Amino acid sequence: MKTYEDLAGDGGSNIISQVVSQREKLRSRLDKIKHKVALMSGKGGVGKSSITANIAACLADQGHSVGILDADLNGPSIGHLLGVGNERKLEIDEQGIQPGAGAMGIKIMSMDMLVASPDTPVMWTEDGGATSTWVSTMESTALRELLADTNWGDLDYLLIDMPPGSDRIDNIRDLIPELAGVVEITIPSLLSQHIVSKSITKNNTMGVPIIGLIENMATYVCPHCHQEGKLFEGQDVEKLTERKGINYIGKIPFDTRVSRKTDSGTLFYAENKDSITGKAIASAVNYITNFIENKS
Amino acid sequence: MKFLCIPCDAQMETQTDGIMPDESKNLSMKFKCKKCGHMIAMLTNKFETEFVSKLGVEVGGASSVGTGPLSMVGSQLAQAKKELDKGKPEDNLVWSEEAQLRIKKVPFFVRNMAKKTVINFALEKGVTLIDAKLMDEVREKVGM
Repeated sequence: MKTYEDLAGDGGSNIISQVVSQREKLRSRLDKIKHKVALMSGKGGVGKSSITANIAACLADQGHSVGILDADLNGPSIGHLLGVGNERKLEIDEQGIQPGAGAMGIKIMSMDMLVASPDTPVMWTEDGGATSTWVSTMESTALRELLADTNWGDLDYLLIDMPPGSDRIDNIRDLIPELAGVVEITIPSLLSQHIVSKSITKNNTMGVPIIGLIENMATYVCPHCHQEGKLFEGQDVEKLTERKGINYIGKIPFDTRVSRKTDSGTLFYAENKDSITGKAIASAVNYITNFIENKS
Repeated sequence: MKFLCIPCDAQMETQTDGIMPDESKNLSMKFKCKKCGHMIAMLTNKFETEFVSKLGVEVGGASSVGTGPLSMVGSQLAQAKKELDKGKPEDNLVWSEEAQLRIKKVPFFVRNMAKKTVINFALEKGVTLIDAKLMDEVREKVGM
């Protein structure tokens, strides 16, 4: 009787060739992108997406071509931050889907662009009795399709705005083995540091390169006198980086304008690069680009 | 997974017209021996199908529906934009409200395959309306 190895194919489904074809499609797309960087935090609400958008703005301001993949499938905010509304009509052909053109020419892809209306949640079934086991499965495949089927074109940087938590980095690492590194983001609160430390431990254990840690909302900038004051007392984030053996990228002060579009529809950094927070963002970007250049 | 016809010692082939799960139930697939024509059915539950679903591949071979941009997102997202559904041979087919409801009840990890079976049947038959009666005919033909 024939054995498994004696049978050449799988009876007609050609599963292996389908998987190989998917991988080749992804690879040809990613090969046109020089550097891929994931921005993450174990903790939600630390300003991760706002920082991602403004880091992209700073890179674009320096003359780089930049894209952002909104990997926060269930809480997408990149489209909103970069002025790409849900009403935008999708352009799809055999080559893929055109990314949204955000402020400063930053290309974006986000689930928010794909759902029927601005207030439509990402749901993989409307059957109330469906098991939740499938959600993670669908999200993994969705992430691959968003990466592989978007016509990113030639990019210097693709930033990946990760969802809160540290589980999705496994997918990203599998899809992008050449990932330049991860930027971890925390606020100074002990609770945030406690959760982010787990994310750092996981990345260190799994061998995911960590570029460093950004301390967001380290101080606040008074909108009237433009002086800085402390938001949190006695919670030294630099000690966390020392304890974990990773780099401290720097502090970014809290500024109420960071998460808003400016009156002219662009990003905070574009019009406030000389502000205290603008300079801190530029400093973080220089740190990240230097890290990547030295690594390569 | 591969299937062997023991008397013929020959590999059994997936029957692509054999995928029509009962709504909200489990996936059944037919395999046929190309030598003697003997057929068997593989009956799976939804958990056993997770692996295939996770890979985003199609049972029975890749189709133009499955290899297009954002094919999984477009077909599985509960409320996706209409543009994600464009450029397919079934564009001219009209689904009755009841047929739409029935296809939505098919477990989503095989909904694409079931939809493909119904569409192929309608295209072969030359009809432009997919209604509940046509879906019953499909099930009868598939024999599941």
